Amino acid sequence: MKKYFRIWLKTTSLSIQAYLAQRGGALMFVLGKIIRFGFFLSLLFLVGDKVSKISDYTIDQLIVFFLLFNLFDIFGQTFFRGIYWFRELIISGGFDFSLIKPISPLFQAMTRKTDILDLPIFIIIILYLGNRASSLPFSTTVSFVFFSILGLFIITAIHISVAAFGIITTEVDHTVMIYRDISSMSRVPVDIYAEPVRSLITFIVPIGIAYTVPAKAFLGILDPKFYILAPFISLAFFFLSLKFWHFALTKYSSASS
Amino acid sequence: MNFPKYIHIAKISWQNGFVYRMNFVMWRIRNVIQLITIYFLWAFVSSDASGIGTYSHSQILTYVLGTSIIRSVVLSSRSIDAQGEIASGDLNNHLLKPFNYFGYWIARDFSDKLLNILFSVIEISLIIFILKPSIYFQTSQAYLVFFLVSLLLAACLYFIFSFIISMTTFWFYEHNGWGQRFLILTLIESLAGGLFPIDLFPDIIVDIISKLPTAYFIYFPMQIYLGKIAAHEIFINFGIIIFWIIILYLFAQYLWGKGLKVYGAFGR
Repeated sequence: MKKYFRIWLKTTSLSIQAYLAQRGGALMFVLGKIIRFGFFLSLLFLVGDKVSKISDYTIDQLIVFFLLFNLFDIFGQTFFRGIYWFRELIISGGFDFSLIKPISPLFQAMTRKTDILDLPIFIIIILYLGNRASSLPFSTTVSFVFFSILGLFIITAIHISVAAFGIITTEVDHTVMIYRDISSMSRVPVDIYAEPVRSLITFIVPIGIAYTVPAKAFLGILDPKFYILAPFISLAFFFLSLKFWHFALTKYSSASS
Repeated sequence: MNFPKYIHIAKISWQNGFVYRMNFVMWRIRNVIQLITIYFLWAFVSSDASGIGTYSHSQILTYVLGTSIIRSVVLSSRSIDAQGEIASGDLNNHLLKPFNYFGYWIARDFSDKLLNILFSVIEISLIIFILKPSIYFQTSQAYLVFFLVSLLLAACLYFIFSFIISMTTFWFYEHNGWGQRFLILTLIESLAGGLFPIDLFPDIIVDIISKLPTAYFIYFPMQIYLGKIAAHEIFINFGIIIFWIIILYLFAQYLWGKGLKVYGAFGR
């Protein structure tokens, strides 16, 4: 574990150096991300200005859903950024070098790069939610932390599945962007979607469990059935993704190497 | 201008689109997911109220579905790849060939738009068939013609606009020019009315945003389709778009000339 942490620190330090070497471009990425974040937030405020409640949610609650969506999205972006470069390793055969190293090839593939460009948004969200969380009852905080950890398991599992799918099909870029598009459905509570979309994003690609459930726990409006469903779905999804990864490794053809 | 040459480029670009079939399928799946997401979001937002701002429930849903078609006509653009060629030095290959670089990207853009329109229309028709949303149909033939003209003008304007962004890579080549492209795309998404109609903003902000060329990419054509602009105002706005096209075209030519002087063909 210590070895992995040291490797992660090294790759993160190298990623930061790479961003600093091209700081002009990095600054524009950061600005773009802040503008995108700000515009969606302004949309919520604009809507809030015109209607006080949407379905059963107040605008204030929708803002919490949006902020928590961003928080978990940043987790995937920051720690698993390496997946965006994984295709290049597969089609070039460069993944051979990962396989012969005494470190998990999955760990190498996922954490090859660390994206620090979301840091400003991360700070904004933490400040806002930290302020709100200070007034939460202890049981609500524990529940939120519990479901957040389960959410992170799902997000990790999805990235593992994308990597595995990439080995089999050599298609990674669009797959990971499809995940990003599907996960963006959780900027608002997944209850708003009609069936079968709602079930699909709750049980098949469980982004509802990953994003909406922790937000509902934070707001204290979570349906108790998720105390049983969420751990079962998230852990099952995580173990299945690992199985899929090991299966995919058997299909790796080492093309072009 | 030798047209058959550019028609061949467009044909090759069209065939290129189908070479990596898996890639193509995944790209279309992404489009459908994006469309469904934004559709449900707005259906949700406008469900309890009779509408949002000056938009009725059906108008807002029409706006959302309509923007998807407009994106495929206006915002789909292969000229985005020009920045990569400038940053990598691959531009050399094109400079040596007997065609106009601007014309080359117009030809590629044309086939890309055709491909996009074809599949977008199929996808949106399926979504309308399955979800049966209450959408607004424009019945005035004059307004439908104005709408088509506005799409054509917007596509020209966006092509030049996008080309200018690509040419900034002559000077800012970090991350293959993706930093400035990402920043501008994010701004377009918001200022062009891609995320929501810009007249939902307070009046003072609408006054500023509606005068920018970005407002003509998505917002203006949709306003025409929804019949929210009087005929005489449409003509005035057509004049403004043509003005922007001329100004930006001249600026693009100027940048191209200046850019070639600083072009170092790095990476070659």
